[in-house]
Amino acid sequence: MSEAMDMKLNRLPAITWYWLKMNEAKLAGVETGSESEIKAEIPAGIEAAETAENPLSSQPTGMGKDVTALVEAGTKGVYTLTAPKNRKAAEAARLTFAYNDGANAVNAVNLVLGDNSEMTVIMDYTAEKEAAGFAAVQTKVAVGKYSLLRLVQVVRVGEKFTFLNDVGGRCEDNGRVEIIHLFLDGHDVYQGCQIDLAGYQSSMKTDIAYLVKNDAVLDMNYFANHTGKKTECEINVNGVLRDKATKTFRGTIDFKKGASGAVGNEKEDVLLMDEGVHNQTIPLILCAEEDVVGNHGATIGRLDESLMFYLESRGMDREAINEMLAGARIDALVAQIPDAAAKAEISEYVGGGNTSDDD
Amino acid sequence: MAKEKAHVEDINRSMYDFRYEEKDAWRIDEGLTPEIVLQLSKEKNDPEWMRDFRLKSLDIYNRKKVPDWGPSIEGLNMDEIVTYVRPNTKMNQSWEDVPEDIKDTFERLGIPEAERTSLAGVGAQYDSELVYHNVKDEVAAQGVIYSDLESALRGEYADMIKEHFMHLVPPTDHKFAALHGAVWSGGSFVYVPKGVKVDIPLQSYFRLNAKGAGQFEHTLIIVEDDAYLHFIEGCSAPKYNVANLHAGCVELFVGKNATLRYSTIENWSKNMYNLNTKRAKVEEGGKVEWISGSFGSHVSYLYPMSILAGRGARAEFSGVTFAGNGQNLDTGCKIVHSAPETTSYVNTRSISKDGGISTFRSSITVNKQAVNSKSAVSCQSLMLDSVSRSDTIPAMDVKTDQVDIGHEAKIGRISDDAVFYLMSRGITEEDARALIVSGFADNVSKELPLEYAVEMNNLIRLEMKGSIG
Repeated sequence: MSEAMDMKLNRLPAITWYWLKMNEAKLAGVETGSESEIKAEIPAGIEAAETAENPLSSQPTGMGKDVTALVEAGTKGVYTLTAPKNRKAAEAARLTFAYNDGANAVNAVNLVLGDNSEMTVIMDYTAEKEAAGFAAVQTKVAVGKYSLLRLVQVVRVGEKFTFLNDVGGRCEDNGRVEIIHLFLDGHDVYQGCQIDLAGYQSSMKTDIAYLVKNDAVLDMNYFANHTGKKTECEINVNGVLRDKATKTFRGTIDFKKGASGAVGNEKEDVLLMDEGVHNQTIPLILCAEEDVVGNHGATIGRLDESLMFYLESRGMDREAINEMLAGARIDALVAQIPDAAAKAEISEYVGGGNTSDDD
Repeated sequence: MAKEKAHVEDINRSMYDFRYEEKDAWRIDEGLTPEIVLQLSKEKNDPEWMRDFRLKSLDIYNRKKVPDWGPSIEGLNMDEIVTYVRPNTKMNQSWEDVPEDIKDTFERLGIPEAERTSLAGVGAQYDSELVYHNVKDEVAAQGVIYSDLESALRGEYADMIKEHFMHLVPPTDHKFAALHGAVWSGGSFVYVPKGVKVDIPLQSYFRLNAKGAGQFEHTLIIVEDDAYLHFIEGCSAPKYNVANLHAGCVELFVGKNATLRYSTIENWSKNMYNLNTKRAKVEEGGKVEWISGSFGSHVSYLYPMSILAGRGARAEFSGVTFAGNGQNLDTGCKIVHSAPETTSYVNTRSISKDGGISTFRSSITVNKQAVNSKSAVSCQSLMLDSVSRSDTIPAMDVKTDQVDIGHEAKIGRISDDAVFYLMSRGITEEDARALIVSGFADNVSKELPLEYAVEMNNLIRLEMKGSIG
């Protein structure tokens, strides 16, 4: 029987007062799991392989070393999708992680793009609504020169599930990562994401939407690490908290010395819909370079009363307005999923706004 | 061809960087032991409860860890710090009675002149003791008490002091609050009775002259319901090649519908560790306004906290921090919304140059009962070169849905567009850059009385030099 680990994860790159309890998350008594089956749909142009060694093992991730140790202890190797040099896959690869009740699963995935390539990957984490269990997936990314990775990760595990989704990656010259993260279900969900913008004019765009309800917890740590010149990052977060939900968002833009000409923008818009919710937001800008532009903004609160009044005057009741506007935040991001089939499936799951390709 | 940047000079500290020999001053032994604390307590003729309080605080200090989340304070060795230096004079109510060297110090800092022209009262502390304290007759006639804290501790207001002293900032708050509790000396007590408006400001000025010493003054201000006070705090020290320490404490109690404006121009020397704690509690409908200029110190930890305890209480914080060569200034504020319909507004500017490190650190906490509260935070940082550093670490912790919280932060360098616009109006590039940098600190200078705004601008003296090409 494996030894239970007490883990620290999602630690801020620059910590602050401990009494705020926002510097990091903690998980107690995590037992080492084993690999879960990955259902893969791989289009032409993308190569899939399982290897014992992980060439990206040294790549840092958003969650940190404890999660890397957990994943390494529970996996025999890494599942890798590769877009070879000069290969631009027209269709999305799809990796589905379907967890059973009582699961204790860990998986390691690498996404590797050679120079001048493109790849779209949909990673869908699912479980039955009533399922309980634990799962962790660590995805490491290497984006070559002039390459583009579109990564969509959808968390819709069971309402009693603890789930860790960890991402770490690096972009070379003119490489770009576009990430969509949708948090729709799960009881305790942890998200880490670190992208090293190392190459000249490399960039990342991360769009995040969440709906956290009941007594669920969502804990996030996003880190844009600018080391290359003229690098760009954009982190957009839009979410809804209901019932007695708790959410922590840590977002860091780090302009390292030498990252001249870099630009970073980050914003979070949180809609609070019930009196029992608890929201924590801590957006950092760390700067050791003069020639940069960094902005962050956050708005946290209720629906605008004038908007509410307008919609009520049109005959809608408050609950219906709340449902509509909360759903709209999710729908807006679902509409951006760069794969028609995945978009339709997720749209149906969330109860569906108008997100057809004809929009 | 590479573009050569305009050069921004360091703050000119010549008017503050002078010192006199310690003539006949009495020093307690270096270090921090129960014996030293007891000796200090005896020197201060403390009541018994205060002596016990000091010893208990020392015990807490010894058990607390040094913070690991802020600038390094490894260069501070408490075994080498003298916690009490008594100048060779009693407290005076006339500048004529103050010893010549000490009087000259405050003359050069402009304090007596400011008292004559624009203040309702002045307290002047030299090392560990107040050497001058006076309040205008017409202000005293309104029932306003402005005295040194130690006199108040033994006089008519002794019970009030005991009730409030380190009530807002308990020694358990952090390691240097505990240190303060153990070795505090000097500082001011202000009491503004109900309904009294003090139209012109009071000022306390703290001067640390002694090499290798610490200053631990305690400021306690009680503004009763419907009253108004503007209190100005100034501080400076000459530069030495050994560490000096400032671990003062400020506790402000703002009554219902009262307003307290607390302005600070901090210009400690660059060998100073400024580990200061300031906190205000605001009752229903009351307001605290913090105006904070941080220019000096080698290391600063400074985050005035406002506890909005009554319905409709308000807090405003305007701050500017200038970190130059050899400085690591970690500044900001904390706001706690603990009652319904409370509001807070935070507006800060940070400037980093010549290897200076500036960190804006804040927390906005909205507790469950603080429904219908609002908060807006804006922080802007200006990097003047690439050997400096500027970080922003703002936290928001919200425990109710009925709030409206906004936060924005910007970091960058001087805008080329703004320089171009000013040049198109006939201003040279050098002057345009100087104008922009000076205007960047306007959020604080415009909140100060005119005389102090001028002083602050003189203090900054951002001179732009160098070829532009």
